[in-house]
Amino acid sequence: MSIDTAAAFDVTDYLRKQMMPHFLCPGCGHGMALRALLWAIHDLEIDKDALAVVSGIGCAGRLSAYIDANTFHVTHGRPIAYATGLALARPDLHVVVITGDGDCLAIGGNHLIHACRRNLKLTCLMLNNEVYGMTGGQVSPTTSQSRLTTTTPLGNAEPHFDACALATAAGAGFVGREVTRHVPKLKELIKAGLRHEGFAFIEILSDCTEIFGRKNEMGSSPEMMMRQKSELRPSAYRDTVDTPFRANDLPTGILARNDRPEYGAAYRSAAAAARNGAR
Amino acid sequence: MSGSPNSASEAAPAPASPAAAVEPSAEPLNVLIVGVGGQGVIMVSKVLALLAQAQGFQVKQSEVHGMAKRGGAVFSHVRFGRQVWSPTIPKGEADILIALEWAEGLRWLPYLKPETGIFICDTKRIVPPFACLNRRPGAPLRYSRETPADVISQVGEGYAIDATQMAEELGNERAANVVLLGALSTALRFPAADWEQTVAKFVPKKTVSVNLDAFRRGRAWIEEARVVTPAVESRAAEAPAPADPAYRVRLDIVAAWCKSCDICVKICPERCLRLNAERIAELAEPEKCTGCRLCEWLCPDFAIRVHLEDISAMAADAASEGAPR
Ligand code: SF4
Ligand code: SF4
Ligand code: SF4
Repeated sequence: MSIDTAAAFDVTDYLRKQMMPHFLCPGCGHGMALRALLWAIHDLEIDKDALAVVSGIGCAGRLSAYIDANTFHVTHGRPIAYATGLALARPDLHVVVITGDGDCLAIGGNHLIHACRRNLKLTCLMLNNEVYGMTGGQVSPTTSQSRLTTTTPLGNAEPHFDACALATAAGAGFVGREVTRHVPKLKELIKAGLRHEGFAFIEILSDCTEIFGRKNEMGSSPEMMMRQKSELRPSAYRDTVDTPFRANDLPTGILARNDRPEYGAAYRSAAAAARNGAR
Repeated sequence: MSGSPNSASEAAPAPASPAAAVEPSAEPLNVLIVGVGGQGVIMVSKVLALLAQAQGFQVKQSEVHGMAKRGGAVFSHVRFGRQVWSPTIPKGEADILIALEWAEGLRWLPYLKPETGIFICDTKRIVPPFACLNRRPGAPLRYSRETPADVISQVGEGYAIDATQMAEELGNERAANVVLLGALSTALRFPAADWEQTVAKFVPKKTVSVNLDAFRRGRAWIEEARVVTPAVESRAAEAPAPADPAYRVRLDIVAAWCKSCDICVKICPERCLRLNAERIAELAEPEKCTGCRLCEWLCPDFAIRVHLEDISAMAADAASEGAPR
């Protein structure tokens, strides 16, 4: 069961305590996402030395700094590119990418689709809060229509990306989505992703309380989080009376799974064959 | 037991105690089968009904299976004899009460014939959610506290059998209902071979052998019980008395990490947290905290850690060290 390890898991064992408290705003959903990742690592008994976390720029990108493991805080939009090199060179490591919606889909969109296509063993967590929080709240590729941001003062007119549909179409071996509020469930999803032999893309629906929430008058942090059920997942909770505040009607859980050949293994065997041929 | 031998049914081959077998006389024989949805109550009653029919009796069976969606109370009345009119058994008229779950057995006890009724009950406890009155771990449940011995002493002939455990030992927990069928078979004068044939007809092909083993196990257990305790003709499985572990919950809150977001305060199902004057989370009503860990999981700043301390274990440790504080 999902909560069996709860008593044994102490998140501070996996944190760089000298860096705490972290820089995230009060109530920011990214903290819960980080807990879910560390709990999954604990459950799977992955050694800290065998874990490498690569993250890009943004509030989500900063999370790697707090993890007591091998961590890389790299350039904007490129964590998947760095992680690809790392995973190819060190297949013995569990390589995890933490990225935000802007980092992953806008600046790094190209890297994402090609990582999906290659299906290299990587676990990519995309923390979706619908906004560029760190830079002051600009519109992102996942901002719902009509939402207010500093760059859409009259409401966003663009349609948003469904990142999981994108990853599935591009060929990712494992695709899933969960909200931060369900920490144990999210942990189980991340575990399934970590176990997957191939590219695992996991979208985590998170709350930017201070920037996005404030701008759109979504209420206090607890209010925002408690409405994730009814408003981030309207399809699962159709009986709720509230109208969704985010237009994203997004399903959660494991959304796609296909066992395509893993790129790292294919690459290594091709390289070995080439070496043997040259000799 | 009651009634004269019926020519339509042969005596079971040498049961350990033929005195215990009952059969219909002028009046039909009433068998009440009860349990919880998903346990196989209806299967038990169908086997019995079909068998009785094959032996030349008229059979009426009525059941409630609306609750069979797992977890609800399920019962089935089986009446058979030369002529059966009503399909249901009135209170105090059941010759045999078979219960697949402990509390269900107790609930239906008033339907058993006082003095002569035979009570066969699995000691399996399925505690329904509404018996949990308090979310604190280890809190007492509002569930039967009677021990098997208490109950057996109230009925004419009673057996508290750990059928679920037996079925588990045979490799399939779901065969517990067939263990009870085996137990039931000792109380009726149908040939064992006919029982086994009927059981085999009802279970999936792959599980025939485990179910037949289960049937024989239940049958043997009762027969042995009659030999061991012939005086009372009753036997209670040694069921451990329900124990409530005592827990104490302790919350560690790191004030320096708390950012006053209020999430823990609002999410706590027991409403026992609050923000203090410095707007730092604190446990205002420790006695209400159940240790559910929601606050630990949802604090975005890792400021809360919930510790569940097993007081009974601590007390035992202290006692064994001979150094009470
Ligand atoms: S700006 Fe938004 S996403 Fe960034 S830390 Fe603050 S609340 Fe979180
Ligand atoms: S563990 Fe936390 S959330 Fe649960 S009852 Fe105790 S204080 Fe409330
Ligand atoms: S959830 Fe954490 S940070 Fe927020 S008020 Fe509670 S202890 Fe403080």
